[in-house]
Amino acid sequence: MAHERAQEVALPEPPPGSIADTFRQVLPNVEFQASQTAIDVALTVRREDLRQVMQTAKEHERLAFDFLRCLSGVDHMDGLEVVYHLYSYRLGHSVAIKVRFPYEDPHVPTVSHLWQTANWHERECHEMFGIVFDGHPDLRPLLTEEGLGYYVLRKSHPLAEVEEWQESYLVAAEQAAVQAADAAGEAAPVDERAAKIALAQKKAAITKQVREDAKAKGLSPEEERKAVAEALKALAEEGKGE
Amino acid sequence: MVTEFQLPTERELETIDINVNVGPQHPATHGVFRMVLTVDGEQVVDCDPVIGYLHRGAEKLSENCDYRQAIGFQDRTEYLAQFNVELGYVLAVEKLAGIQVPERAEYIRIILTELNRIASHLMFMGAYSADLGLYGTLYMYAFREREVMQDFFEEITGERMMYSYFRPGGVAWEVPENFRQRCRQVLDSLKRGIEDTDGLMTENEVVMVRCRGLSPVTPEDAINWGLTGPMLRATGLKHDLRRAEPYAIYDRFDFDIPTGSQGDVYDRYLVRLEEMRQSVRIIDQALTQMPKGPIMAGGMKRILRVPPGEIYMRTEAPRGEYGIYLISKGGEKPYRLKIRSGAFSNLSALRNMVVGNYVADAVIILGSIDIVLSEVDR
Amino acid sequence: MVEQKFSEVHEVRDDPQLAISDAIPEELRHDIKRLSPAQAYPTQGKSLYRQLLPGILQVPADWLIGWGRKSSLWPLTFGLACCAIEMISTAMSRHDLDRFGVLFFAASPRQADVMIVSGTVTKKMAPAVKLLYDQMPRPKWVISMGACANNGGPYTRYDRVLQGVDKIIPVDVYVPGCPPRPEALMDAFLALQKKVMEERGKIGS
Repeated sequence: MAHERAQEVALPEPPPGSIADTFRQVLPNVEFQASQTAIDVALTVRREDLRQVMQTAKEHERLAFDFLRCLSGVDHMDGLEVVYHLYSYRLGHSVAIKVRFPYEDPHVPTVSHLWQTANWHERECHEMFGIVFDGHPDLRPLLTEEGLGYYVLRKSHPLAEVEEWQESYLVAAEQAAVQAADAAGEAAPVDERAAKIALAQKKAAITKQVREDAKAKGLSPEEERKAVAEALKALAEEGKGE
Repeated sequence: MVTEFQLPTERELETIDINVNVGPQHPATHGVFRMVLTVDGEQVVDCDPVIGYLHRGAEKLSENCDYRQAIGFQDRTEYLAQFNVELGYVLAVEKLAGIQVPERAEYIRIILTELNRIASHLMFMGAYSADLGLYGTLYMYAFREREVMQDFFEEITGERMMYSYFRPGGVAWEVPENFRQRCRQVLDSLKRGIEDTDGLMTENEVVMVRCRGLSPVTPEDAINWGLTGPMLRATGLKHDLRRAEPYAIYDRFDFDIPTGSQGDVYDRYLVRLEEMRQSVRIIDQALTQMPKGPIMAGGMKRILRVPPGEIYMRTEAPRGEYGIYLISKGGEKPYRLKIRSGAFSNLSALRNMVVGNYVADAVIILGSIDIVLSEVDR
Repeated sequence: MVEQKFSEVHEVRDDPQLAISDAIPEELRHDIKRLSPAQAYPTQGKSLYRQLLPGILQVPADWLIGWGRKSSLWPLTFGLACCAIEMISTAMSRHDLDRFGVLFFAASPRQADVMIVSGTVTKKMAPAVKLLYDQMPRPKWVISMGACANNGGPYTRYDRVLQGVDKIIPVDVYVPGCPPRPEALMDAFLALQKKVMEERGKIGS
């Protein structure tokens, strides 16, 4: 998977006089980790402080965040995270507040009593990630049916495979042809196209195997390609020998 | 002895509230949306919207596509204002990767985006008039103008819908040589369409009687419920993301922000009508200012790798604030792509707006929110 | 700490099998992709006009009834997603569907002949689609419009999406495209009209 090789990069600090300083002045007891994303300032808080931070953010006159723009869940592979994007129509500033917690304890206090728009956002976040919002009035699934049993947007949930409905039909047709040939006493018809497909599949499987081995050993790309070519040659000779 | 005659309203009748299911397949629900109305006689007592019938997983599928393939998913998320959402997504990627877009590409983008905004509002006019009962006439006019625009877009991008024309770094290919004349032709046709719409609906007695004063919303309520876009501007708050947090080159153009007074259904229609006129103004100015030059940033590699970081890029789509929350962990695919769509948040306030009105009004209120279900369900 | 797969820890409940209608006989169930509704739901015996008329008059009677059916196919308004916009475009004044007899997009399934499934069918919506299809009286036809209705389209790898509407209802005409052009939808209607004429008098009513 592409995301296993994620790099840990130190995020830049926000400039002085930004909303992070205002937060620190208004709430001196709370510990904030501030960073500057491409547009907003992102503040990471601990889960225990979240309720106090959100209440103050809405009601304090220097912050006055009256609009909750977006509530997203994120699945970092070592924990879950909820990100709140807030905006203030009165004062014209915006901020992103993040809170992280582990998989085993996915509980976060709700903010739907502060901003009513959070109601649906939290429902969606719950059914996609399994994050439970304590105090939410109605945490039913929103976009999927009830009783699904799994959380779709988590990284551990795979994509669906393309279902081949033709398979059983074609297999049944082939078996019928073979049976008819047996009944008539002739040799079974050789399906060339199926043979070609089987060979191509075998080649693809061997290529994949060799590539994975090469990656595990840490070879460079040219060596990888050489190994794959050798494996395919071996397969061709094997086929010719048969 | 004659007993006193009692008027029916003074007698006590026992009534039950029934649940009316305005089901997923319904001519007036603009797609697969279901609301369960609890009605007392003809008045709506409770409303429970059920969405998710078009939940197709654009967010999860985008995590497995690289940055250019994900543009196609954005198109299909908002299928009436494709260029607007493409612009939002492409700007997010560019800001995160630090790509500088050439001037000509910016102007082309703005012109196409505003044209698409007009197309989307025209579709709203058509569908909304169908909800009101003026079926057919305005729908035909709206689609006549949309066809003119779709022809124009087909000359540029090759597609009638789902353009995938904006790319990180600029646009995919150069516009044809007669771009300016064709654009002016399209604008003339659109002006005629806007005047037709205005003449048909604004002073129409049916529209005014049905829509004036229906479910007014105050600005504080609107902000609390998360309404954005024309619905917020109809309440009287003069806020437009193109002015408040300018992106692309919107700060070079001169346009007004139409607002309403009460936030009722009629005001929302008027705001959208006026927005179409302001879009025409923006396109006029952009056509005169458009320079020559390259249309794609230099030094773009075949496979785009975005450095680690995150961004919440918000743009003003015809339905409200369209936000893309993009987290990149340094690969060729986005790590998390969360789409914050205006229609989703606007629709979450449906219950507050519908309760207390009649069933027929519930349909109009739903129509005036102007939802696009694939944006709501993603 | 990387999380274990959900299915390794908990018992994952499979989606309930979307049942194929019981009216389709057992030996034809795997073949549902290739059947039209007329073949999939065969009636018992011949219709009244074929029993009453002598053989030589049945041929023009069949032709007349087939012509009547193909010239006024009334669709059910079943726009699910983006393809619905192209369907509406096809019905509007530029590419006119009215000239093919396809007027009156009926809102109620009881009065519709053709069901144009335009857009992605999700697993949440599938029971509603099946119910609507069952509520349509015969003779009925289905046009699967767009890539999503054909086989899941661009959203096929998502597990809440039904990979093609022909998993639950039998389809007559498939229209490829994302979304298909209005001309393609008109071509689909012409092909359906040809199919209706070919099927006349052959199967049941």
